[in-house]
Amino acid sequence: MLHNIDVTSSNMAAPVNSVGKTSGDRFQVNCTSFQKKTRSKLISIPGTRPSVQNGQLLVSTGVTSLDYLLGGGLAVGTVLLIEEDRFDSYSRMILKYFLAEGVVCRHELFVATAQDNPDEILQELPAPILDDVAVPKPVDQPRPTGEPQDSLDAMTIAWRYQNLPKVQSALASSSRFGHYYDVSKTMEAEIRQAAKCHRFYLPDHITPSSAAHSARVESYSALLKSLQEVIHREGFDLATPMSKSRNILRVGLHSLGSALWGDDMCCHDKPRHGHALTTFLYGLRALLRSSLSVAVVTLPSHLIQDRALMGNITRLCDNAIALESFKGSERETNPLYKDYHGLLFVRQVPHLNCLARQLPDHKDLAFKLKRKQFTIERLHLPPDLSDTASRVSRGEPVGVASACGSG
Amino acid sequence: MYILALKNSYNLFLNIFSVAREEVVHVLCFDVSEEELKVGLKPSDTQRLHIHNAYSDPLGWTGHPNFTAQQFILEDLANLVKQTSQPKPAVLVIDSLSWILRHKTPPAVCQTLQQLRKGGAVRAVIGLLHTDMHQRGTVGSVCHLATSLISVAPGVRGKEAVARVTKRSKSGKVMQDEEIFCIAEDFTVTILSKASHAEHKTNSTEEEQADPTANLTFNLRLSDSELEAKQKLTLPFVFSKEKKTALLHPGPGSGRILYEPDANDDYDQEDPDDDLDV
Repeated sequence: MLHNIDVTSSNMAAPVNSVGKTSGDRFQVNCTSFQKKTRSKLISIPGTRPSVQNGQLLVSTGVTSLDYLLGGGLAVGTVLLIEEDRFDSYSRMILKYFLAEGVVCRHELFVATAQDNPDEILQELPAPILDDVAVPKPVDQPRPTGEPQDSLDAMTIAWRYQNLPKVQSALASSSRFGHYYDVSKTMEAEIRQAAKCHRFYLPDHITPSSAAHSARVESYSALLKSLQEVIHREGFDLATPMSKSRNILRVGLHSLGSALWGDDMCCHDKPRHGHALTTFLYGLRALLRSSLSVAVVTLPSHLIQDRALMGNITRLCDNAIALESFKGSERETNPLYKDYHGLLFVRQVPHLNCLARQLPDHKDLAFKLKRKQFTIERLHLPPDLSDTASRVSRGEPVGVASACGSG
Repeated sequence: MYILALKNSYNLFLNIFSVAREEVVHVLCFDVSEEELKVGLKPSDTQRLHIHNAYSDPLGWTGHPNFTAQQFILEDLANLVKQTSQPKPAVLVIDSLSWILRHKTPPAVCQTLQQLRKGGAVRAVIGLLHTDMHQRGTVGSVCHLATSLISVAPGVRGKEAVARVTKRSKSGKVMQDEEIFCIAEDFTVTILSKASHAEHKTNSTEEEQADPTANLTFNLRLSDSELEAKQKLTLPFVFSKEKKTALLHPGPGSGRILYEPDANDDYDQEDPDDDLDV
């Protein structure tokens, strides 16, 4: 059972429905200094907030549009499964957003990979944009109030807003829920090294020659043991008494199920080790439910031929989304998709401690990776402005839309 | 790491790669014999080629095999490449991965390829894979590892072939290309043309930016003198500097609102018409 932890964050951010509006309204108004009175027994962890729907403690995935789709954020103790796109570019990007959000909120990280070294992923984390303000940004920098003459020259029309501070100095940036990142720059080393990170690189733990001869897949049990040991040692376990301040552990597992983990799930139509990953996910979920952790797992689902196995895996994870990138497919030249980089399907949203689940309203979602934002928008047909618009000619775009709607 | 995925078993291309550059090339031959591979190559080229014969006894049935399929692991391959003792790391060409995949599990082969890529023993690995011989998942898993993937299929006309090239860069960018080429007798590759779909794409994306202020009956543009006059215009609420500072930094006592409640403020919610008796 998921613990309904009764905590409050120190600054309530804007309510859920205004987080991540669909088209481009990215600034959250957060200039209130309202401090809710908390009882001393409650713990408040930076970077989290309670859900307005069911009271669960939520953390941000790093992508505000994705937070909106998942009902406000990722509940602590749950797993998000991302089905990778064909070339693993956008799923890797979402994993990096998730880890970067952990660095900015000062959570601890646990990264496990079999293909590239975890340090490579950590070095590619996007740089956070730390000085977002809610008011429209002036053209010039506003000067401090000690120099009135210079400041009056700065703005001609909106001069009444000059003296409002550019950075909300009273509130630290990490107390916000959900940050924005600049993909063109990587995170500076000082910020990155301030966060504690645990790494699991599979070739360091398992020698492949021994793995080839074993009947079972040893890599997943080694990963689970390592994760359990980290949770115990660093005090994320809920069973230990709350002596010091609590923190969240963000677990990022890259490309589970691929051949490099020793699993033949992606290689054969009828895999011999079909139960290895499902057993691991079951153990992972049990471990997460009893600790203050959140996991994001990426999986190359386009290689898995057994759909029943894919259904099992989806059911074992709490949240599941799938990405399909247009790169390399014939959809790239389709004028319907020219503004977007790919389609996004929400396969599953959990119902935690309540009866109903909060599915998103729209099923046709498309994503676009811009420099400062990863937007997920509803895909809709453009207006049919051709001269020969008739029922017959409208057949083609409608057919395409239904193809993406059935996903 | 390059992987050649062949639809219909074209074996000739191995020779092209070995001849192309001035590098030391190690070839692991499983599919064809050493003599057949060397047919048509000049002797100067064959000096740079080190062919390891795994064709005659790949499973070790005789007592002393040269190279077996079971030896496709990192240590043995590194030893093999080190035999030439060259300063720069070599290129390893594997003919073919399909053969090895029949005798070793795909996860083991993928792990060995990944180790070859990460370790410094070889600079590049070029592998040949016959896609019609394996399950789709196996082909997908092996191709997922590759940084460059070339899919070759027979072309429309006799001597031509179509190659689809997919390149993945470290930053995550993916480049795709399709080309038609043919190979001459002396193994020179001539690229004939890009396929017709690529040409289609470039035509449709070229659009002129429409200028909305053109072709109107009224003038929406400003001349230079008009632009200057516009900038000189004084806007309302643009005050002098003293007034601005006074408004921005209000002193004590200014801006206080003094209000005394009058009769209309005396509104009783429970008695709106003010006609109830106590």
